[in-house]
Amino acid sequence: MSSPHHGVPEREPVTRRSAFGGLLLPAAGILLGGCASSLKSASKPEVEIPEGRGAFVMRPDGTRAFRNHEFVDQDGNKVRFQDDLVEGKIFGATFQYAKCKGICSNMTEQMKKAYDLMTPIMGNPVQFYMFSLAGDSPAAMKEFMQARGVYGLPGWRFFSGTNEAITDIRWAFGFGDPNEELDQNLAGHTGMVRFCNHSLDKWSACPAQGSPEATARLMVRMFPANARPQLPNIASKAAAPTYRMKDWVPAKPLEGQAAPGTPSL
Amino acid sequence: MSDPGPNSVFNSGFGRRTFLKGSALTTGAFFINSKFTHLRLADEPSSPFTTPWAQPLAFTPYNVPLPAFEPLADVNFDNFQRYDELPAAHQYKVQICEALHCPHPQLAFSPSTTYNGMCPGPTFMMRYGQPVITRFENCMPPVMPSYGSCDVVTHVHNGHHAPESDGGPWDLYSPGIYKDHHWANVYASDLATGQPDSREAKGTLFYHDHCHDFTGANVYRGLAGFFLLFDNFDSGNENDTNPDAFRLPSGVPDGKRVRNRYDIPLVISDRRYDANGFLVFNTMEMDGQLGDKNLINGRVQPYFEVERRKYRFRILNSGISRFYDVWFSNGMTFQYIANDGNMIPAPMTLQNVKLGVAERADIVVDFSQLPATTTEIYLVNRMEQTNGRGPTGNTLPMNAAPKLLKLIIRPQTGIVDNSRVPTALRELPPMDVPVARTRDWHFDRSNGMWTVNGQLFDENRCNAACKIGTAEIWNFSTAGGWAHPVHNHMEEPRVLSRNGKSVVGTVMQGRKDAHPLYPGDEISVYIKFRDWLGKYPMHCHNLTHEDHAMMFRWDVVP
Repeated sequence: MSSPHHGVPEREPVTRRSAFGGLLLPAAGILLGGCASSLKSASKPEVEIPEGRGAFVMRPDGTRAFRNHEFVDQDGNKVRFQDDLVEGKIFGATFQYAKCKGICSNMTEQMKKAYDLMTPIMGNPVQFYMFSLAGDSPAAMKEFMQARGVYGLPGWRFFSGTNEAITDIRWAFGFGDPNEELDQNLAGHTGMVRFCNHSLDKWSACPAQGSPEATARLMVRMFPANARPQLPNIASKAAAPTYRMKDWVPAKPLEGQAAPGTPSL
Repeated sequence: MSDPGPNSVFNSGFGRRTFLKGSALTTGAFFINSKFTHLRLADEPSSPFTTPWAQPLAFTPYNVPLPAFEPLADVNFDNFQRYDELPAAHQYKVQICEALHCPHPQLAFSPSTTYNGMCPGPTFMMRYGQPVITRFENCMPPVMPSYGSCDVVTHVHNGHHAPESDGGPWDLYSPGIYKDHHWANVYASDLATGQPDSREAKGTLFYHDHCHDFTGANVYRGLAGFFLLFDNFDSGNENDTNPDAFRLPSGVPDGKRVRNRYDIPLVISDRRYDANGFLVFNTMEMDGQLGDKNLINGRVQPYFEVERRKYRFRILNSGISRFYDVWFSNGMTFQYIANDGNMIPAPMTLQNVKLGVAERADIVVDFSQLPATTTEIYLVNRMEQTNGRGPTGNTLPMNAAPKLLKLIIRPQTGIVDNSRVPTALRELPPMDVPVARTRDWHFDRSNGMWTVNGQLFDENRCNAACKIGTAEIWNFSTAGGWAHPVHNHMEEPRVLSRNGKSVVGTVMQGRKDAHPLYPGDEISVYIKFRDWLGKYPMHCHNLTHEDHAMMFRWDVVP
């Protein structure tokens, strides 16, 4: 059966739909639609990431594989980007650095407010990642986090790696600039946060310094609609009420169909 | 529910699952285009070749009102402002659901998000003086992989609607939920008399998804359709005996009913497909999305047979990031009659029209003026644009411009054409209310984030509390490097100037709801606040920018 959403290199005896079904795990009393799963790369076929900054590969189950860079966190723990931070995770990711005199403090403060709104789901399964744009040492990252009250919070980590590795994932997340000078300008670094539900290949982004309610709401919307954590304090202030449909039967996502054929002219 | 029409397979979750199952399980598609190296748009893999002019231009059917004996259940009329004054004459129900859509015989059936299973959505044929209630049921699958959102909310672009029926981005809702909209179909008021003012009439509108953070993906996936409004002047009847009627070329095609129809909606968009013909969307793109296939009414490069007579074309750029400069390939002129769906005071004779995202142009083209030897011409786009940030500023040579639509001109066969283009169309509404204040809105970017007046969007913050019954001047501006087609909900301002110059005699004259800000531009408008209280957004209509919060909220207050 085919997956229509992105190209995949080869067929495997697994459908996108069955892959999702297999990931439905109960957590915190709710179905998370695969979000809590922590599939290890051992269960995935090895894929070769092509040349190019920000490259990734779409795999047969419709999920992405990025380069498996090694990073170190604020406590000196080594992690692999794809295996440990991306695979099967729901996360928000920002690009910051410890000595930033610009937006980084406010980004962290606003994200902390969003975190507080999401406390019941933070850590498992939702993660907040910060990636250092300046090759910060674990000590510097830890100090930055401590100063802003986010050190030790479940699910919140700060990672550092080579500039090439950080640039690679920054581009993969859409935060590259074709102008090389602008791209490498630390003072102008992105203030966006990238959200992901890797199992669903669901991605979005919003300003990290935006309203914490909006940030938290967007992260919750990374979950399948029938498995979203109920966090009343992030409800949107709609201009009009909506109502539940009676006798509604949830539909399942469609699979694509091949081209019908060359037209006869 | 209307017939989904050609090229669609339908899935609402309400009984068509069986068909769906059968159709979805037999695919033989395999994929080879797997590697995405997140380069800029110009470097993304090209869509596969498609034979141009392989299929006729398609039209979706009209939305059909519910029968009077089977009205919507459980409508809470108390939700709507002025409902007692403007009760619904008709009711509609639309299901937002996944369907498979195939835009060309050499491309695949891709999962799409649709109104009633159709891409574009079924056409709303509306009339002033006939308010309606429309229920949009979200029948999307709750578990929805890949791009787009199963959350939706429907906005009628340029509808003069109360906020509870406007479909603003904060009103999104999930599968299994419905929302009722009261579309009053009433002219905006003349503040001097308090009465509806026909000079405020709107004609060519469209409805589309406005789900915050995912509007671009949802529209790209198919959530857009025409919403046409008629009145006694623009009556939709070229044989109208009412002396007030414009008698413009008339007859909007209704699905396959296209014979003797001369009022042609054309929604232009661009898409990209993978090597196996499936629709692809770059979820990581922050600048704007460009496709390399041009679609008209949901089909790649269709053809359309026309008679040697006058036609009205309603051209809509539905985006999501491309700008157009539309010409006929032979350079022929046409009569430009409406800007963003609003009749201008007198027709203008033009050769081309530029359309930023969400802009519309109504034109009347007279194919009887062509020599008998001319049997085909093309609608082409001469706007050069290489990335989602905006056009380059260059105009492509005619022979290098991408062709959008092939027009096949039939031989002359004793055609009777009673349509006309009046020398006077619709007067502009007066700017008779004193200006209460002037506000500046600067659209910019800081640290990769979109800002308006240096602020990030916060739906809980009202950036302008505008007193009902007053008027203001709003100045829109942007910095260099980016184009921002900014759009205001509900109230449609009159354009005063562009870069300090009067717009009289240009296509910018009159009322507009979409204001294409090219790098460094400044546009001034005069705006009134009437009829409805509540909150509305203003935002960039490059949908990638909109989805990353290039917007602000303004309120109409007592």
